[in-house]
Amino acid sequence: MRLILIIDDEDDIREVAALSLEATAGWEIITACSGADGIHAAANPQRKPHAILMDVMMPGMDGPTTFRKMQQNPDTAGIPVLLLTAKVQGVDQRRFADLGVAGVLFKPFDPLTLATEISSVLGWND
Amino acid sequence: MSALPSIVFGMLLVTIFLLGVVTLRLASRARIQQEAIEQLNEALRHSQEYAEQQKTKLALRSDLDTVKDEFISTVSHELRTPLTSIRGALGLLSAGMMGNMDPKAQNLLRIASSNTERLIRLINDILDLERMDSGRAPLKLRRCSVQELAREAVDTMTPMADGANIHLELQCLAPRDSIYFDADADRILQVITNLLSNAIKFSPPSSTVAVQIDSDVNSVLLKVVDHGRGIPLDKLEAVFDRFQQVESADASKKGGTGLGLAICRSIIQQHGGAIWAQPNQSGPGTTLWVQLSRSARATDTPTPAHIAPPAERGEGLILVCDDDPGIRVVVAEQLRQHGYDILEAGSGEEVISIAGRHSANARKNGNSTPISAILLDLYMPGLSGWETLQRLKETPITAGIPVVILSVIPPTDRVQGAGEPEGWVQKPFNENLLLAELGRVLRAKGSPGQILLVEQDQELAQVIRAGFQNAGVRMDHVSTLQQAVDRCLLGRPDLVILELTLPDGDGFSLIDWLRRQPGLQTLPLVVYSSREVTEAEMAKLRLGQAQFFSKAKVKPLEVEELVLAMVSRLRNSTPASVA
Repeated sequence: MRLILIIDDEDDIREVAALSLEATAGWEIITACSGADGIHAAANPQRKPHAILMDVMMPGMDGPTTFRKMQQNPDTAGIPVLLLTAKVQGVDQRRFADLGVAGVLFKPFDPLTLATEISSVLGWND
Repeated sequence: MSALPSIVFGMLLVTIFLLGVVTLRLASRARIQQEAIEQLNEALRHSQEYAEQQKTKLALRSDLDTVKDEFISTVSHELRTPLTSIRGALGLLSAGMMGNMDPKAQNLLRIASSNTERLIRLINDILDLERMDSGRAPLKLRRCSVQELAREAVDTMTPMADGANIHLELQCLAPRDSIYFDADADRILQVITNLLSNAIKFSPPSSTVAVQIDSDVNSVLLKVVDHGRGIPLDKLEAVFDRFQQVESADASKKGGTGLGLAICRSIIQQHGGAIWAQPNQSGPGTTLWVQLSRSARATDTPTPAHIAPPAERGEGLILVCDDDPGIRVVVAEQLRQHGYDILEAGSGEEVISIAGRHSANARKNGNSTPISAILLDLYMPGLSGWETLQRLKETPITAGIPVVILSVIPPTDRVQGAGEPEGWVQKPFNENLLLAELGRVLRAKGSPGQILLVEQDQELAQVIRAGFQNAGVRMDHVSTLQQAVDRCLLGRPDLVILELTLPDGDGFSLIDWLRRQPGLQTLPLVVYSSREVTEAEMAKLRLGQAQFFSKAKVKPLEVEELVLAMVSRLRNSTPASVA
């Protein structure tokens, strides 16, 4: 079974995204409410996530910074990261893509297709 | 003896007098020079102050733009965040992912869910339109194939069409394999999918929506044809305005934002093209036309919506000739609404016979109205517009009837030696341009030339105007860019005298604007400016016939002489011949 880590400072969005992925794809979800918590959760060798879905704008450490820290840490460097952003400006999108993340998804996402979008970005066929 | 002292005395008096005069003269010359220096200083101070003000204004504007950018970015983020939770929660509930609910509750969830979707589209559309209209979404032009774009749009919209039981069709009317043109592919795709989405929404089940592609040497023409309920004639233009739907209930029933066509128009205008709606020639339904130049000259900002030309009223009998009955009906209806009487002809042969008969009758007895002007299409089966024009001009009784060409090709591409039309309206035209050009042609019959002076210095304007008044030439004076645009839309002047430095912008933007107006592209221009114009700028400024004069080197009187010579040449030829 796939294990997905969702990092977002908004409680409601974490919950809705988790419910959506559980209900539509049957994936197992762990959540974190900040970049620092996210790095901690991702580095747990017993529960290493298959992918991370992370918000861009978070207080404290934002998404891109968290991603760069994860890249520097050998425990988390191999985990594919998808950024979730509410910004639609082309410049922002390109900036995120240039970071080297696996993909960029947009808010508001469709709860019924979020899992298939993640799968198609990551090339998962299950 | 007594004569000598008196002579000496007299000479002395004269000398004193002359000295006095000379002193006075010198004093007054010194005063004049002093005044002139003061005036110059004053002018210098003014221009320095003006330059400072402009600099501050520019800095302020760029600050404002930054603030606006940040605001839009923030609003976009702040609205999307709560919407993400709402959409997620409602989506999961209404899809039954959390267990089944009773039908009434399900219906309420469906309402909440579909309105959330609508709100999201609305936010996206508003931001989109805002970015485009502020010029912050520059086009990424590249060579595109119109067939490929249309195919992609049709593929994208097929699921929606299938859901509504509508058949989508792609028809290529051009005899070429691939039609290439310069455009921002994503934006054009957005336009086509938007038009298709509208067509599907307003079509009855089991009907067909067709995308038709056509092209000529200069432009690409794309049509989306539906067989829906159609758009009333008086709404054909209004549907492109923001939040204008044909019926107020459409927004909630069809799930549209009321911004789709406004966005399409912004995108097409940004490409320098045109978009318009027309009722289908046979049967119900509407055709949305998009015309794009094959080598696009993208404009930085779309034409502001407030530059809408006021319509003018006219009178007279107009013969409208087009082989397309749909265009004929629309043109005839527009002209009738503005006071004209209409005769219709479907071919060049018909034009020649109707015009000949009417002119002969009018000459014989006074009870037949002569034709005031002929509106003539160029591409027609049988006798072409060019041949028709030539025959009209060669026949003495019809030679005097002004002819206005209505064609997709620009006046610069006219066939040499085929006779000169008096006016030209490039398709796609809007009603007001057509009325303005027709009005101008009718007024121009035997009337003196009309010159538009664009000059912010009121005193200089007075001097120039006085000169032309003496020569019996009508002249209108405006002092701002906006007034110049408004004035040109009221009726095409014969010539424009332009100062490049204007209070609300520079003359270059006026010329850019003129170049995009089908009826004004070839307007003769005299740039008479305080600003020196470089070679590169001259190339940019060239519009029809153009002359450049620096205020520092050339006196108003000399400009006047030159302009009068130009006007007299214009009077002896026709407006279309000055290209």
